[in-house]
Amino acid sequence: MEEIVMQETNISAKNFEQCQKCSLCETVCPVMANNPKYAGPKRSGPDGERYRLKNGIFFEDSLKYCLNCKRCEVACPSGVRIADLIQQARIDYGRKAPKLRDVMLASTDQVGPLASAFAPLANFSLGLSPVKGLMDLTIGVDKHRTLPKYASETFVHWFKKNAAAAQEAFGKQISYFHGCYANYNYPQLGKDFVAVMNAFGIGVQLIDGERCCGVAKIANGMIAAATRDAKINIGAFGKSVKEGRDIVTVSTTCTLTLLEEYPELLKVDNSAVRDHISLVEQYLYKGIASGALKPVWKEGFKARAAYHCPCHQERLGWGIFTTELLKMIPGMELIELESNCCGIAGTYGFKKENYKVSQAIGKPLFDNILAVAPDYVACECETCKWQIEMSTGVPVKNPVSILAEALDLEKTAKANR
Amino acid sequence: MKFDVIIIGGGLAGMTAATALQEAGLRCAIVAEGLSLQNAPRRGFSAAGGTLLAGDRVVSGRFAGDRLVAVRTEKLGDVELEAENFVLATGKYFSRGLVADMDKVYEPLFGLDVEYDEDRSKWFDPSFAAPQKFLEFGVKCEGGKAVKDGKAIANLYPAGEVLAGVTSAQGDATEAIVKSAVEAVNAIWRK
Repeated sequence: MEEIVMQETNISAKNFEQCQKCSLCETVCPVMANNPKYAGPKRSGPDGERYRLKNGIFFEDSLKYCLNCKRCEVACPSGVRIADLIQQARIDYGRKAPKLRDVMLASTDQVGPLASAFAPLANFSLGLSPVKGLMDLTIGVDKHRTLPKYASETFVHWFKKNAAAAQEAFGKQISYFHGCYANYNYPQLGKDFVAVMNAFGIGVQLIDGERCCGVAKIANGMIAAATRDAKINIGAFGKSVKEGRDIVTVSTTCTLTLLEEYPELLKVDNSAVRDHISLVEQYLYKGIASGALKPVWKEGFKARAAYHCPCHQERLGWGIFTTELLKMIPGMELIELESNCCGIAGTYGFKKENYKVSQAIGKPLFDNILAVAPDYVACECETCKWQIEMSTGVPVKNPVSILAEALDLEKTAKANR
Repeated sequence: MKFDVIIIGGGLAGMTAATALQEAGLRCAIVAEGLSLQNAPRRGFSAAGGTLLAGDRVVSGRFAGDRLVAVRTEKLGDVELEAENFVLATGKYFSRGLVADMDKVYEPLFGLDVEYDEDRSKWFDPSFAAPQKFLEFGVKCEGGKAVKDGKAIANLYPAGEVLAGVTSAQGDATEAIVKSAVEAVNAIWRK
């Protein structure tokens, strides 16, 4: 008789055999609570994987309803990478080519330059209800959605013209991964980042040939394009690290993609640069806590802010860096909102078929914000910002922009010379 | 980052201890994996100003003499969490407060002393419904404090099911769990 050998440790990808069927993931899934067409993280993830490993015909199209917020992974007591299992299955077994709309929504760094070049026209026409109605009917971008505005001057263009020359004067240098949003939609965020870094005596360099992190392409099935961009980014990061500059990011979702999705889903090895990538709030918190960076705060600053922790920040586990940083500001009253997905999940909420679910998912958060009635919401994520501003009317500020307002930039620059 | 008390684990014992200590005015942080942080106590703890590190887990501790000085977590990397006192409320096997391998039962975070039977054949009864001995295993306690290499750790208080003799898998242990949490709270509060 063949001897039975006990397998003592996990040997499966993404820890899936550690699933104990406890269903905790189902209790935190925002989609499952609002969309009966979605089977939930346990069945779509580890349960479905057992079937899919037998035969790919068991792949279900309903996995597209997963918004990849990764709350299931935060809840899982057994360390199963549930959302990764679902995204991996979509990559490995999904056979449908992405629709025109999905390609348009996902191609942030192809659409971005065009829309920026014609920004006044693009912003004007995308705000018109007949145009929205037409887009709703033809390509399926929901007409109720306020579309993101494009800036007429990109961050990179501004930086090269106004800031690049002054950077060499600083002793310490970092590379700034600005992401598509700061570049095409909201350059002010990039400008605030440069102002804060420079005040702390740190010079900012661009990343040579920066590409979109690829998160929207992964979500929309454009894996080859995402992988190509990932390889370019990792190559550029390597060059930056070799030249002595760490990479600092502002977007939580870009950061999660660079750190986790590259090796896990795109199979792009980031191990050589991984420890050199940090989110700006983490970078500043560590610097200030260790005494290396010395903030001087403005006198008389006053604000009442409500902090919304984006899902991908929850997954990174780094929300505490932001809250500890904001609590350092004298005159800041910080209220931490109850953890809840806002429902937009990048391109997900723009799609006609997801609009209602997206708003239903975010409702507890919107109600919470309206009840707190803060001066503004503090949040690191750009798509959360669109969703919260559209759904509550309360302005949303990135913590970097809040710091740029709260710091006495001149005195800070003197203190860090 | 500095706190008065760090509570490791957010189940019944951890939440009971954390909420009581936070409401008593101590600055507390909970590090907890999974959904053990149930919604109602979680809200109370947050409303009292407590810090939650949800979905994170403690991976190691730094000791100085007979004291635990700081812990590190998986997600915060080289940023240490320091505190005057610590509550260990990591539960038993499912939540990995205890780990059983083929020949021993151990406490994986700090290598605390664990009470268990060295004879593996006595760990369990083949009858499914019979009382199971392995459920009684847990960390050793001396005057409410955890024990490491035979010596009590002056500021590390185990609470709940991680303790030897406390188990909810066989009958209701709510009372024993809450009692051990209250004892930890009292010990810290009296300091």
